[in-house]
Amino acid sequence: MRLQSKLTLFSAVSKIIILLVLILVLPTLVNTVALHNADVRLMEKEVRMYDIIEEEGIESFITEETGNAYGSYNLLKEDFISLEEISSGRVINSIENSLRKVDGEVVEYRVLSSTFDLGDKRYLLEIGRSLATIGDNSQTLQRYALLFLVAVVLLTVFVDLAFSKILLRPLTLIVKRLQKIEHPSTFTPKPLNTSTDDFLYLNNTINHMMGQIQDVFQQEKEFIGNVSHELLTPISILQTRLENLLSDPDTPEPLLEKLVDNLRTLHRLKSIIQALLLISRIENEQYIKNDSVELPALVNEVVEEIKERAEVKQVEIQTDLSGVYHLTHVNHSLLFTMLFNVVNNAIKYNKPEGSILLAGKPLAKGYELCITDTGVGIPEDQLPHIFSRFKRLHAADGESHGLGLPIVQTIARFHGIHLTVKSTEGQGTTFCFQFPKQR
Amino acid sequence: MHVLIVEDEASLANELVHFLSKEHYKCDWASDGREASEKIAVNLYDFILLDLGLPDYDGLDLLAETRALEHDPAVIVLTARGSLEDRIKGLGLGADDYLPKPFSLLELQARMQAVLRRKFKLKSSTVSFNGYDLDTNTRRVQYEGNEIMLTKKEFDLLHYLVLHKNRILTRLQLTEHIWGNVLEDDYDSNYIDVHIKNLRKKLSAYGPTDWIETVRGVGYRLTA
Repeated sequence: MRLQSKLTLFSAVSKIIILLVLILVLPTLVNTVALHNADVRLMEKEVRMYDIIEEEGIESFITEETGNAYGSYNLLKEDFISLEEISSGRVINSIENSLRKVDGEVVEYRVLSSTFDLGDKRYLLEIGRSLATIGDNSQTLQRYALLFLVAVVLLTVFVDLAFSKILLRPLTLIVKRLQKIEHPSTFTPKPLNTSTDDFLYLNNTINHMMGQIQDVFQQEKEFIGNVSHELLTPISILQTRLENLLSDPDTPEPLLEKLVDNLRTLHRLKSIIQALLLISRIENEQYIKNDSVELPALVNEVVEEIKERAEVKQVEIQTDLSGVYHLTHVNHSLLFTMLFNVVNNAIKYNKPEGSILLAGKPLAKGYELCITDTGVGIPEDQLPHIFSRFKRLHAADGESHGLGLPIVQTIARFHGIHLTVKSTEGQGTTFCFQFPKQR
Repeated sequence: MHVLIVEDEASLANELVHFLSKEHYKCDWASDGREASEKIAVNLYDFILLDLGLPDYDGLDLLAETRALEHDPAVIVLTARGSLEDRIKGLGLGADDYLPKPFSLLELQARMQAVLRRKFKLKSSTVSFNGYDLDTNTRRVQYEGNEIMLTKKEFDLLHYLVLHKNRILTRLQLTEHIWGNVLEDDYDSNYIDVHIKNLRKKLSAYGPTDWIETVRGVGYRLTA
């Protein structure tokens, strides 16, 4: 997941959690606030009641006719005020919820009870407000608070998204540049336009390291060039000298055989160096990939080149190739060498009257070519090592340098071809090449 | 045929001169780029064998100089540097052939003859020997008017033997010529023996084959 998505997701999730907590806490909170407001209002009313009583005298409320009590409530029974004379007793000064019967209906009220003495009498003043009314208010309050919170959360999530996008733009650019690189040699260092130090540091470090990698590649390239020149030139001299001796009529017959032996040894040395150089050059990306190859055609080309060897060994080559697959941006001669080496091994290690099957079919993601022989097979414990350099597996003739399969693997890797091997000892070996889907 | 050998390695140049002189080529040798550049400008060479790895000169510049010459000599690039062929072609310079070092002298001679035939459009592409006619253009072999069907490798083998008639060719040289375009894990001389056996069998149906001589422990020789 991308960093920007993660940041946005994190900010959204954390805000939603805060929102949920608030939603859980909000009713209690709002109720408490509403109740507290109601209490304050009740106390204000109490003060005003005392003022009125002081101004107008208690007589205007309580007389003998009223039965020593006064009560007033509004039509919807939301509020009430009651005054009554009580026999002297304890002093009450409280606010609490209590159930009251008004006009035969039981209503729960928030009631402020307060006693006061006037003359030698003690009165009880009660001011109430129905809890339903208080609750109504608090519900409205809750709804608005909730809407407000949701709006704030949404707004901040979007602001976060936009801001992180702007903030992470240099990083996105670095990632994009890195994705475009197929090989370190194609990298060109570019400056980054940002005020974020971390990204500048990252970009500079990448540029620096890529530069170092490129230097190493360049050095290796020069080394390969020098080695190939320095090693192959003496071999050239030896080979031409031996060949001149060989073609000289004055050279005595018994010497000819020795010369041929020397040429063979020299050839071995030459092919080892050439194989190693080939591998190094491929790994150093010194081969150009600008050929186009059609797959069944390439296989047929290899078969055409090698079929006489198969005939010599009395091995039958069968092909089962379906579909046409175009490979672009490949190196034709390398791919030819790759397939040639595998088929050549299949001939070399086959049984007399054996066969080789080259089966190719298009896949959803490319093309698969499998080369199956009926040869001696590879023991299971050696299978992981067949692509290691200088691991000689069969080497019956003693002249094999064991670099054939490493070359195959290097070429396959160079072209992004997935190579797998299956083998049963005594029954045969299958090499499968999975050619990638073309861009 | 006047040949210039551009090669900084004296021993190798000596061997080349030795070999080509015996083949009746008139040889000049330039050991560095400056000398080569002078010689090219003064003499009319038919052939230039050019080693691109020169100490004082960019071999590619020298190649460009030869390409600019009016009489257009044939150029074979000899190089120890691989993948150079692509670069030369990329630069649009183009030599007539490329031979990576180390190469066989016989292969060099075969390439030189092929280049000459191509470049100077020699009229006759037919080589005759011991009653056989071998057409290198149509790749057909006839004995007294009867066509003999040969496989590609058999034809290449016969052609190479004819090209170097009266000379011993080792199995290795024959293998390298026939399979030279693939880098092999090992070399199996058995293939050459079987090809020669098949070749003898096919030819013997039409005429004598005693001119393909087996040199014990060394290789084969075509006597004509």
